[in-house]
This record gives sequence, structure tokens and C-alpha cells, in this order.
Amino acid sequence: MINRMNPSVKFVMITVSMIAMAFFFNPWTPLVFFMGVVLIQLLFATVSWKTWSLMMLPFLLGAVGYFWTTLVFGNEDSTLGTALSLSFRVLAFSSLSLLFVFTTKPVEFILSLMQQLKLSPKIAYSILVGYQFLPVLKDEFFQIRQAQQLRGVEVPKSPVKRVTAMRHLLIPMLAGAVRKAERTAFAMEARGFTGEGDRDFYRKITIGRADAAGSLLILVLLCGSMAAGWLL
Amino acid sequence: MLKSWKLKEIVLMSLFAVVFGIIYLLFLHVGNIWASLIGPIAYEWLFGIWFIVSIIVMSIIRKPGAAVIPETMAAAIEVMLGNAVGPRLILAGVIQGLGAEAAFAATRYRHFNLGVYMMAGAGAAVFSFVYGYLLGGFAALSTEYVLLMFVIRVMSGAVIAGIGGKYLVDALLATGSLRGYAITKRDAHA
Repeated sequence: MINRMNPSVKFVMITVSMIAMAFFFNPWTPLVFFMGVVLIQLLFATVSWKTWSLMMLPFLLGAVGYFWTTLVFGNEDSTLGTALSLSFRVLAFSSLSLLFVFTTKPVEFILSLMQQLKLSPKIAYSILVGYQFLPVLKDEFFQIRQAQQLRGVEVPKSPVKRVTAMRHLLIPMLAGAVRKAERTAFAMEARGFTGEGDRDFYRKITIGRADAAGSLLILVLLCGSMAAGWLL
Repeated sequence: MLKSWKLKEIVLMSLFAVVFGIIYLLFLHVGNIWASLIGPIAYEWLFGIWFIVSIIVMSIIRKPGAAVIPETMAAAIEVMLGNAVGPRLILAGVIQGLGAEAAFAATRYRHFNLGVYMMAGAGAAVFSFVYGYLLGGFAALSTEYVLLMFVIRVMSGAVIAGIGGKYLVDALLATGSLRGYAITKRDAHA
């Protein structure tokens, strides 16, 4: 069901939930919310759990960092509960984000932003162009690197120098991006793309029953976790 | 706002957003690993990296919106690539971009020099800190610690995004690929 939700509706619901979470400093609200999201994922969404754990892992580590920072550097009002709350919040946010990422097709997300949330077609199609260029940019990245290796450019050992050495790859990549942008814009205009708002869409993204059900589910979970925070 | 934009400028914005979106994601993971050791303050040093596309695109195109739109696009690309920060990155992108935009708007989009770029980096840092304060629950931390985080973030914004952005743009300008954009036209007059 979550997979069939309209991406814009899902996006708004998830953003609202996250902002609501920010006002709670008790450990129960984010914990219940986190478990609820995992349960929703289990019951109503198709998710690759292997990738899920892999992507959660860095944030689990981040949550640990949050936990001890709040314990050590917390203000006089904060307790063990607050420290736990902030770490659970990291987990709740990450699980919610993964719920979105795993159940939404990137291209449909942008199309939906344009069709439901009135994002300008100029911007929307430009983002899609950029997205389609990803594999091209990847090839170019390896090409530039190989060319530089052939000419004997060495990769520095120290991590700081390695970051500053990124410019040797970045500048040619960006120069290439400028040229690609020009050519693509030219091609789009040659095919009659004006970017006006009143256009027809080949792929229509709609809002349906799954959206009502999914939104209700998230709202219930949100209210439930707030109630858990007050009661426990 | 988009009426005065040429399509090639918008597509350029988007392609830069893709390149920097990938870099942003890379450093997000670096930040995460670091944050597990030294806590959320780990991100503060790096924060300037996440503002850089605003400064670069604005200095090339020099039109209202050229700071906030590419930053938001980069965030959208990060979400499309898939990561566990997800949709709220877009909100963060808008807010950071507005911070950088504010600095350029304050000069009425007339001055483009290192000082303004550093102000834009700092502006993005201030805006993003307010947002981070709320969502990250910094209210639970002691005032001195929050202040330290704030100062590091603003410095990072001014140095990495401001100076770093200026450096990258100058290098890009030297390649000659930016002919036909505002950056070459106005510099010729000045």
C-alpha cells in the first residue's frame, strides 16, 4: 500500500511527522514511532531488509554519538531520558526516510512534485535531465581519472590532501557539465519545450485510495506515539 | 522568478546539483562515521561543503534564485539517489539555500566577490543551524556546547563554501567553458 501512495502525499506526510517529532524530548515518543514505522514497513511495504540494515547502520552509529554527547554535554534539564530520546529520534527519522526511499520511484517523485505540488516544469524536467545524466557522469569520472593516471598524476596518501586533490577531477567534470547543459537545453528547446505550466503529461501521477489509507496510518502512528510519550 | 532564466541556465543548475549531490552524499557518510565517535559536532566542521553549490552557481548565473534553487535540487538528487536522511534533506536544502540567497539579496545581486561569498556561506550556516537546532534537539545540550557548534559551523560555511567556492569557480572560469554566462559578461565590464 505504501508503495502505491502518491509520492507527493507521502513526502508531505513524512515531513510533517518529522517536524512534529522535533517537539518531543521523552524517549517513548520516538521509540514507539520508530517501531511503528518498522511495523508499517513489515506489513504494508515491500522492502529489501538487507539494504535496509546496511543503510540504517551508519545512522545507528550516529545515534550512539548523539547519546553520549547529550549525556556529557547536555544542559542541566537533560537526563538519561533526553539522551535516549535524541538517539531514538535519529533512528525514527532514518527509518521514516528509508520508508520513503524504498517505496518511491525517483522519477515518479519528481513528476508528482510537478503535477501535484505545482513545481515548475522547467525545474522538474531539468532535475530529470540531471538524473538521467548520472551514468554518463559516472563514466566520465572514470575516464578522467584513468586519463590522469596515464599521465602519472598520483593520488596523495593523506586524507586531507586527498580531499583537496578532488579538484583535479571536479573541475573537468564541471566543465563537462556546463557543455552538456548547453547542448541539452538546446535540444529541449529545439523539440518545443517551453516550460509553461499548462501542459499535458504523458505519465499522469494520481492520488487515490491508497493515499487516504496510508496517510491515516501515519497519522494514527504519530498520535499514538505522542500519546505514549504523555502516558509513559 | 523563472521568467528571466534561460533554459540552459536551469539545466546547468541541475547538472551541477547532480555532481554536488553525489559529493554531498559522500560527505554525509564520512560525517556519519565520524559522528559516531565524537557526536553530532562532527558534522559541524564539514558543513561548508554542503553549501558550496549555492555559491558556485550564483557566481556563474547571478540571478535571484541561483543560490536557493541549485541547493534544493542537489538535495532532491540526494533523495533520488536514496539515503536514510531522505525527504527532510529537501527541506534542509531550501533553508540552507535561502541563507546563502539572503547574503546575495542583501547586495541586491550586484556584488560578487570573496567577501560576499563568505557572507553567503555564513548565512547558509546560520539558517541551517536554526533548522538543525529544532530537528536535532540541540535544546537539550548545554549553551556553551551549542555555541561552539554554531561558531564552527559558521566558520566552516565561510571558509569551505565561501573561499572554496570562489576557488572552484575561478578554476572553472579559467577553463573557458563559462562563456555565455553572466560571470564572464559582468567581469568584462568591471
